[in-house]
Amino acid sequence: MYGMVNKSVQALVTTNFGIDKWEAIKKKAGVKEDVFLSNESYPDATTYGLIGAATEVLGLSADEILFAFGEFWVLHTAREEYGDMLSSAGRNLSEFLEYLPMFHIRVALIFPNLKPPRFECSDLQADRITMHYYSHRPGLSVFVRGLFSGVAKLYNTPAQITQTKFKDKGDDHDEFLVYWGDAAKQ
Amino acid sequence: MTQADFMIDREQFSKLFPFFFLVDANMRVLQIGAVLARICPQFCVGQELNDHFSLFDLSKDRADRITPELISRRKAGIFIFKSASSDLSLRLQAMTLRDPERYLFLGSPWVRALKEMQLLQLVLNDFALHDSTVDLLQITQTNAISLKELIKEREDLFQLNKNLEQLVDKRTAELSLTNTELSRVMRSKDDFLSAMSHELRTPLNAILGLSESLAEGVYGDMNAKQIQSINTIAESGHHLLSLINDLLDLAKIGAGKMELELNNANVEDVCQASLRFVMEQAQTKKIILTLAMDNKSVTLTVDERRLKQILVNLLSNAVKFTPNGGSVTLETKCDVESESLVFSVRDTGIGIATEDLKRLFNPFTQLDSKLSRLYSGTGLGLTLVLKLVELHGGSVEVESDIGKGSCFSVRIPCKGLDVFTSDAAKQNKIAAAQEMSLKSLSENTPLILIADDNEINLRTVTDYLRANKLRVIQARDGLEAVKMVREHAPSLVLMDIQMPLMDGLDAIANLRADDKHAAMPIIALTSRAMVGDRERCIAAGANDYLSKPVNMKQLVKTIHTHLPKDETR
Repeated sequence: MYGMVNKSVQALVTTNFGIDKWEAIKKKAGVKEDVFLSNESYPDATTYGLIGAATEVLGLSADEILFAFGEFWVLHTAREEYGDMLSSAGRNLSEFLEYLPMFHIRVALIFPNLKPPRFECSDLQADRITMHYYSHRPGLSVFVRGLFSGVAKLYNTPAQITQTKFKDKGDDHDEFLVYWGDAAKQ
Repeated sequence: MTQADFMIDREQFSKLFPFFFLVDANMRVLQIGAVLARICPQFCVGQELNDHFSLFDLSKDRADRITPELISRRKAGIFIFKSASSDLSLRLQAMTLRDPERYLFLGSPWVRALKEMQLLQLVLNDFALHDSTVDLLQITQTNAISLKELIKEREDLFQLNKNLEQLVDKRTAELSLTNTELSRVMRSKDDFLSAMSHELRTPLNAILGLSESLAEGVYGDMNAKQIQSINTIAESGHHLLSLINDLLDLAKIGAGKMELELNNANVEDVCQASLRFVMEQAQTKKIILTLAMDNKSVTLTVDERRLKQILVNLLSNAVKFTPNGGSVTLETKCDVESESLVFSVRDTGIGIATEDLKRLFNPFTQLDSKLSRLYSGTGLGLTLVLKLVELHGGSVEVESDIGKGSCFSVRIPCKGLDVFTSDAAKQNKIAAAQEMSLKSLSENTPLILIADDNEINLRTVTDYLRANKLRVIQARDGLEAVKMVREHAPSLVLMDIQMPLMDGLDAIANLRADDKHAAMPIIALTSRAMVGDRERCIAAGANDYLSKPVNMKQLVKTIHTHLPKDETR
């Protein structure tokens, strides 16, 4: 994965738990790097190692960390460092999600070593959309749910995100229903 | 492909070219792309193109009115249309259709950063998929982020280096301060030790002097118990004195204040003198003392007093840790290869465990606490030995077997000296030196031989007599005294009674047996002041008798009384 992901894990930990916890996580994960460069490619094992160590050091479940990381990724890392790219992807939640598949294709063109996931969308309605997530990386569906939640917050749109298909339970991919209708506002 | 294959409907055309527009010869808008219509709501069908846009001339940095002639003239080029009401600029290509009165413009907004897109209310999806504008914008944005990140890393590294430099400077300053403070403390420690040693020695002189006087019966007779007690006081006093001396020496070495008084020393003399120091102790324990030299005429440039201190320390230890009936050997060996002289003190003592050898030269270390109770010692001796040897540029080695004994070897470098010259050459040199020493004094000055095995007594009396304009030669045992009388025929002999190898009484008898020395005055000097001692000395052949501690004025007076008249002042 690109360094921006590891950088984001670092920012999430240091912002919420302090630098000492981050150093402890790095030590536990056996990560030697002092600095991650956003546009450099790092082994996936580094990211998985950091998240695994974070669950132990912070005493949180993997799902809690992954969801928080998804939201943090959108609301802090992406907004602060890639804000213009993020804003240009859509004027509202619906547009953003609809454009997400194309966004990932364009991102893959820019970052040659990136192996991005594939998104598809279906059943776009005035208050909902179904998002399909395909990835060779296991165990990140909760992270994706956190990403959708973060995007909804980015556009100030209260939304409910429900996972409707689970790759780790035998489905061929993960599927999410993103609903921003009136019921989601309550 | 046929022309029919290129037929696409209006919706498809709008998706391919979301920013297109079609104008007639009057520059009136006939058709407009969906996205352009959205971002320019006033620019709609029926409007005049020049009311909303003007042609920007890049070379002249000015805007021109758009006319059919202008379009025809520049149709092969790029058209930049600038909006009159917003920041929008369109980058377009003009096409003439089959109807020459109609002009079709295809292209997209001219934006150089993603931020400009936001200002124009544009999103990525507004651009046709074949339009690479957005990809280029994203690449530019990504490169800008990378560059920003690298600049920041560089700044961070620069700051880190700066901080490190500051830290190093700070630590260096702190260390320098600590060193200064340490030096000050060390100086204070040395000054304190030096002052304390001096202060301790002064009262100790009185303790030692008085106990000696008491033991010698100067203040009247004492019973056996009292004599035993006073001897214990004297022994303890001597022990304390050696401890103070060792401490003072160590402090001097530590402070770099010890300066060696280097002179040519006869190695055999030094060895003999050192052995004499431990002889009494060895005799008490029935330990056999041996001197083994591979070259008896060796001289060495050393501080003689310090070399003796080294050897006496090692010999005392050897005797101390060797059981009754054992043996202690002092060996000297010239090591031609390393140009050094090796002194080895070998004993048949209790030995030292291998793991203890490295601690051996630490101050105040006696390896087994049980030993400290069994064998008294300052714990400074070996430390001092090592320091003194190092001051001479030498080294100390130890070999030991538990229960079998130890061997301490001191290696003193003698590079450039004539240590390895022949015995004959050496003998000549010694004789010449002796001759020079004698010649430096007036032939008319009386020559006094002092025979005494106690170095301090020897030095004290020698100094005093020389100060009183007498020539002095020295012997350290009875045998040597007899030899020197035969060689130098002194005017008078001061003979100590208790001496190693041959005691004073035997030496006097030996001299008197020779007619040549029958008339030579001999004054017996002894610390033995018991009833009958005087008579025994006179009977042996002494002319007079003085008991220690001797009054120096009295001694000189007595000497002059016995000297032949033509040799006195």
